[in-house]
Amino acid sequence: MENSFALVGKGYLIVAADTTAARSIVKMKSDQDKIKALSPHLLMTYSGEPGDTLQFAEFVERNIRLYQIRNLYPLRPSAAASWIRRSLAESLRSRHPYSVNLLLGGYDIASDDPHLYWIDYLGTLSEVPFAAHGYGAYFALSLLDRYHDPNATLEEGLATLKRCIDEVSKRLVVSPDKYKVKVVDKDGIRDVEL
Amino acid sequence: MARRYDSRTTIFSPEGRLYQIEYAMEAISHAGTVLGVLATDGVVLAAEKKVTGKLLDLSSAKDGGYGGSGEKLYLLNSNVIGGVAGLTADANSLVNFARSAAQRHLLTYNEDIPVELLAQRLCDMKQGYTQFGGLRPFGVSLLYAGYDPHYQFQLYHSDPSGNYSGWKATCIGANNGTAQSLLKQEYKDDIGVKEAIGLVLRTMSKTMDSTTLGSEKLEFAVLTVDPETNKPKAKIYRPAEIDALLLSEGLTKKEDDAEMKS
Amino acid sequence: MSIMSHNGGSVIAMVGKDCVAIASDLRLGNEAMGISSNFQRIFPVSDRIYLGLPGLATDVATLREKFRFRVNMYTIKEEREIKPETFAHLVSSTLYEHRFGPYFIEPVMAGISKTPTGGVKPFIAATDLIGCLNFAKDFVVAGTASDKLYGVAEGLWEPDLEPEDLFETISQTLLNAVDRDAFSGWGALVHVITKDKVITRTLKGRMD
Repeated sequence: MENSFALVGKGYLIVAADTTAARSIVKMKSDQDKIKALSPHLLMTYSGEPGDTLQFAEFVERNIRLYQIRNLYPLRPSAAASWIRRSLAESLRSRHPYSVNLLLGGYDIASDDPHLYWIDYLGTLSEVPFAAHGYGAYFALSLLDRYHDPNATLEEGLATLKRCIDEVSKRLVVSPDKYKVKVVDKDGIRDVEL
Repeated sequence: MARRYDSRTTIFSPEGRLYQIEYAMEAISHAGTVLGVLATDGVVLAAEKKVTGKLLDLSSAKDGGYGGSGEKLYLLNSNVIGGVAGLTADANSLVNFARSAAQRHLLTYNEDIPVELLAQRLCDMKQGYTQFGGLRPFGVSLLYAGYDPHYQFQLYHSDPSGNYSGWKATCIGANNGTAQSLLKQEYKDDIGVKEAIGLVLRTMSKTMDSTTLGSEKLEFAVLTVDPETNKPKAKIYRPAEIDALLLSEGLTKKEDDAEMKS
Repeated sequence: MSIMSHNGGSVIAMVGKDCVAIASDLRLGNEAMGISSNFQRIFPVSDRIYLGLPGLATDVATLREKFRFRVNMYTIKEEREIKPETFAHLVSSTLYEHRFGPYFIEPVMAGISKTPTGGVKPFIAATDLIGCLNFAKDFVVAGTASDKLYGVAEGLWEPDLEPEDLFETISQTLLNAVDRDAFSGWGALVHVITKDKVITRTLKGRMD
């Protein structure tokens, strides 16, 4: 089962996604990176129907890159979120809708703060302080309700994320064992080992 | 002989020139002056109205709309004011296009269109009319005074060829050369909106043909950022407000050069 | 599970004396799981008109963007603000365009218009998801708690309420109705539109 989590803190945003690629009951791969860097300050996790996920993520990635090349500066996180939402909403009422759930987060250079958006395959968009997709969300959201602090330092933020991951590993029947974690702040994107 | 290369916009002359575009620019340099000055905390636009007369019905301009009398200054989007010089009919069509383009951007990205992007949208269209056969280019130059979070306050100019450029202070239309050399002398990099208003009005009064400066000859607009909401505030002055402003700036009606020099 | 209650949420609008009020909860859910407690579903259309969009959240966003586009184009071309009555018909025809594949939204709108004599006229309306207009003189409700809202509003509403009394009435109606609904709640937002200003207040609600 696929899980992804994200939370914003003071001047940063943490994004995590499991690394399993499964087909039915078989685990095919355990080092899949399901977090895309869309621009120097923008991250996106994607999960859902295999095939749709990568196809849609690459479609988004290329379009955001195109905007950046044409206009000399990247889309702001809020604008990127609106564009992606619209793509999914239009896809929903097409003949072959994408079945992809996303967490989009980035650091807005213009306003100097991090933003996180919860987006699902219907094209639902909501800006939130923390978010999760997958069965892990049922455990993680309760923990984040209790422990999330928007003014926490990066270390505290990572500790909160670890709580979520540990709880999901403990309680979920089919839980992923490994997670990829990325952080974005004013200096850009970097990988983090938990 | 020049005629052979005049009739179509898309044909180069042997010297490598596109006459129709040069004629379009020539037409603009006879149109009413539009002047813009970029300040640290805002942008100021002023324009000279050409069509005046006692019998012209301006009742719709007094109330409703976005202010102004709808000849030269238009609100293109909540963060951009446009000033036009040239053929009024062409300008109306471009203003319409700009407004639609801005709304399309708002629809897809949920943000006000960045100013340079709006200028690009119009220039793409203007350039198209210099290349594809049988059509006349737009006989319009525009000034764009705008604000966006990427580059804050900006002032752009675009001409019939589809070229655009960013300016600290510039002028299009009649006497633009005079106005520009005046602006070059007087412009300072740290100019505030208050001083910019004064600079614009003084320059206008020197370059305009008429001896009087009043709302019947002048359009005026200022773009600032509202300190409370942090959103751009576009204000196109109504005729009464222009007269009040001229009065407070000490530039009412009869202009005399003695005051300018002091 | 119905699509209309996939994300949850409710909106109510009421008429007062020379004023109107519109209010909604702030929950965004995914079936029973809460996603956000700050999901806006009431949007300003002009200074004096507000539109509430309860229903499927993706369509809330799509319709909000669509109406903003259409109203902006109307305003810019007509050089005047749209009247509440005109806007209601814009909403209706926009929804009916999708008669056989509708947006899953039941809009509620509230606004005040100026009469030629200088007075003000309160206006509220609601439509179903294919745009059938319902102009009410007292109150309109929609969303997952609509049945409860009808009950409470029927008991609390009275004619000619002043702005502050109307605020109290609509707030109590909404909060008590959404407490009986698992898909609505998690705080509320109220707008009271009067002749010369709009009062906007956020209400705390039960978080369970």
